[in-house]
Amino acid sequence: MKTLRSTAVAITALALTGALVSGCSSSKPTGAAASAPVTQAQIDQAMDTPTTLNLWAWVPDIQHEVDLFEQKYPKIKVNIVNNSGATGQYVKLRAALQSGKGIPDVAQIGYDHISTFTQTKSLLDLTPYGGAKLATDFVPGIWSQVALNGGVWAIPQDSGPMGTLYRTDLFSKAGVSAPTTWDQFATAAQAIKDKTGAYITDMPGNDMPQMLGLFSQAGVAPFSYDGKSTVSINLDSPAAQKVVSYWQNLIQKNLVATDPDFTDGWYQGLSRGQYASWLTAAWGPVFLQGTAKNTSGSWAAATLPQWQAGQNVSANWGGSSNAVMAASTHPIAAYELAKFINDDPASTVMLANQQFLYPTTTATLTNPQFSDAKSDFYGGQQVNKFFAGVSATVADNLQWVPFMDSVNSSYDDTVGKAITNHTDMVGALAVWQQQVVDYAKKQGFTVK
Amino acid sequence: MTAIHQAVADPSAMNGHETTAPKPHRTKEREKRRSWLLTVGIWVTLIYFVVPLLWLAVSSTKDNGDLFTTFGLGPGHSFQFFHNVAQLFSFQDGIYSRWLINTLIYSLGGALGATLLATMCGYALAKYKFRGSRVVFNAILVSIMVPLTALAIPTYLLFAATNLTDSPWAVILPSLVSPFGVYLMRVYAADAVDDSLLEAARIDGAGEFRIFTTIVLRLLGPGIVTVLLFQLVATWNNYFLPLIMLNNPNLFPVTVGLAQWQSTAAAGGGAQVLFSTVLTGSFVSVIPLMIAFVFLQRYWRSGLATGGVKG
Repeated sequence: MKTLRSTAVAITALALTGALVSGCSSSKPTGAAASAPVTQAQIDQAMDTPTTLNLWAWVPDIQHEVDLFEQKYPKIKVNIVNNSGATGQYVKLRAALQSGKGIPDVAQIGYDHISTFTQTKSLLDLTPYGGAKLATDFVPGIWSQVALNGGVWAIPQDSGPMGTLYRTDLFSKAGVSAPTTWDQFATAAQAIKDKTGAYITDMPGNDMPQMLGLFSQAGVAPFSYDGKSTVSINLDSPAAQKVVSYWQNLIQKNLVATDPDFTDGWYQGLSRGQYASWLTAAWGPVFLQGTAKNTSGSWAAATLPQWQAGQNVSANWGGSSNAVMAASTHPIAAYELAKFINDDPASTVMLANQQFLYPTTTATLTNPQFSDAKSDFYGGQQVNKFFAGVSATVADNLQWVPFMDSVNSSYDDTVGKAITNHTDMVGALAVWQQQVVDYAKKQGFTVK
Repeated sequence: MTAIHQAVADPSAMNGHETTAPKPHRTKEREKRRSWLLTVGIWVTLIYFVVPLLWLAVSSTKDNGDLFTTFGLGPGHSFQFFHNVAQLFSFQDGIYSRWLINTLIYSLGGALGATLLATMCGYALAKYKFRGSRVVFNAILVSIMVPLTALAIPTYLLFAATNLTDSPWAVILPSLVSPFGVYLMRVYAADAVDDSLLEAARIDGAGEFRIFTTIVLRLLGPGIVTVLLFQLVATWNNYFLPLIMLNNPNLFPVTVGLAQWQSTAAAGGGAQVLFSTVLTGSFVSVIPLMIAFVFLQRYWRSGLATGGVKG
């Protein structure tokens, strides 16, 4: 009995860890990957052969862009699977990779998870297919998210250059203008609290990507990964401590709210004017417009406050890409699909104007159809054009490690908890650093 | 037997008996005090359980704007329930009704199958002596402790190896296994089925299968309903397993479908503000469960009461 029980437990544990670590031992299905550069003749032939591609993406209505692709290449059929957002997507991708069956040809992957999948050699290097030639079409800061360690692993789809959306009415009631430095932001926070009762903004305890964006803006390069087994983790650097103690100070003075974001209470806070600003990214404006309709006309966009007057540095928050899976048996057609959706002018303008994904190609960023749009919600401001300017100022120091899920849950337990409970955030930062380093070592990474 | 059954099944008969019975003054007072505490406790519990449901019901009558600007348990500026329902059943070509039907098929198929298997297995474990029955029962006890979610990925790998993923079987087959149901039925069958009854039937020449279908199934009725309800709710609410098993939206159950809409709403760049639709969808999806409970409750109650009298 005892052996039976322990065997059962061991089997379950094995199966679980196997699935989580995603493939230390299982044999990888090999696709038809090319090593020499693919010729135009090969491409023409592939695109003229009846083929069915599987695309896993969570962008709503991606069918519209795929329709354009199928019009151009009538012999190729594309099957779309929507896995309810990034979390569902990664769970299913790992399960499919582990079993070796049902792996899609093209998958949407967030920038923060690209190295998770390159580490298991699950993504196809797009260089032989012409991927490297696309570099000049994209904003440099974004291209560096997909061109890593000598390969091109995905085609950028959307991005999130960070800025501030603020309530002009609350700011003018408090007698302050949009702060250009973090010092002014802190002063404005006091004025807004005194005159309007509102918090200047909300600092959620459940949003590591936002905090990493603020780190990146302050010059912190939190992670690096060499594509093999060496990582570096600098979450507790002096610059990061500076950011965290800045927010700790505001939170302890009760000038900043600490509600978790994208929750019911937070939506209410935005709609009811409890937060006078939202430190967000270029995807934020349309989002806010939909969820806080009643505040139309009282918002405007500005750059993030700066650490030094006269600087103009932003960071990237969010965004994702389309990668071709190494197991794809139609790599040429799959690459052409990923490229078409994210590089074709008609398709990228559609993504920007209909699905409101913030563009990554310079052509679409400067396309008047996109950048000249005015919104009454922002008092007629050309918000798209504004963020296109921010795009060029994004710091390129934000890289990722192949275990971001663990880093994220550790953040929620340490710094996130300290934010929510108004306790020692700087101390929690050191604990976070330690937990992430320990985890990396346990997983067999060299931490330098 | 049936007389006891009915008497216990009808609580009004019992209450009537109690109130008319003469009682000493002091005991009565103590009972009063105790029941005052109980009443408060029950009210608190009731509020705890009902408030989320109330919030859901109230929210399904609001449009998106009101959802975030009005008090959660108070009414919105306009009554949008019917508009929300219309939107719910027409969005994406009315795929929601498809999801509802899928959920119904999965949970009914899963619950009926699991109940049958659990009943047979529990009865066998309770009433037949065979080599290894204790090991089997202990193994079942152990597996109660493993949550279905933890098994989802190993199950996926098994199903992928047999090419059964992305089909209704991928959701129904794993739902047929209910270790807790087996445990419950074993415990219940041990008390509810009298050994001498089985012996009498055997002496009269009834086969084992006949005994099971004509005698045992009836005796186990209340237990069966309990397991059925448990399994119905479990499969109805199952999210993770269908999420990783299914790719085709036409096969989704309500849980996965709503989660997809919810993520579309949260990530959707404001293009599709679906919050009120998702909430209305959640509300509509719990209604069939509530109906099932109301209808099956009387069988369940008599089952618990029968056990109490016997114990």
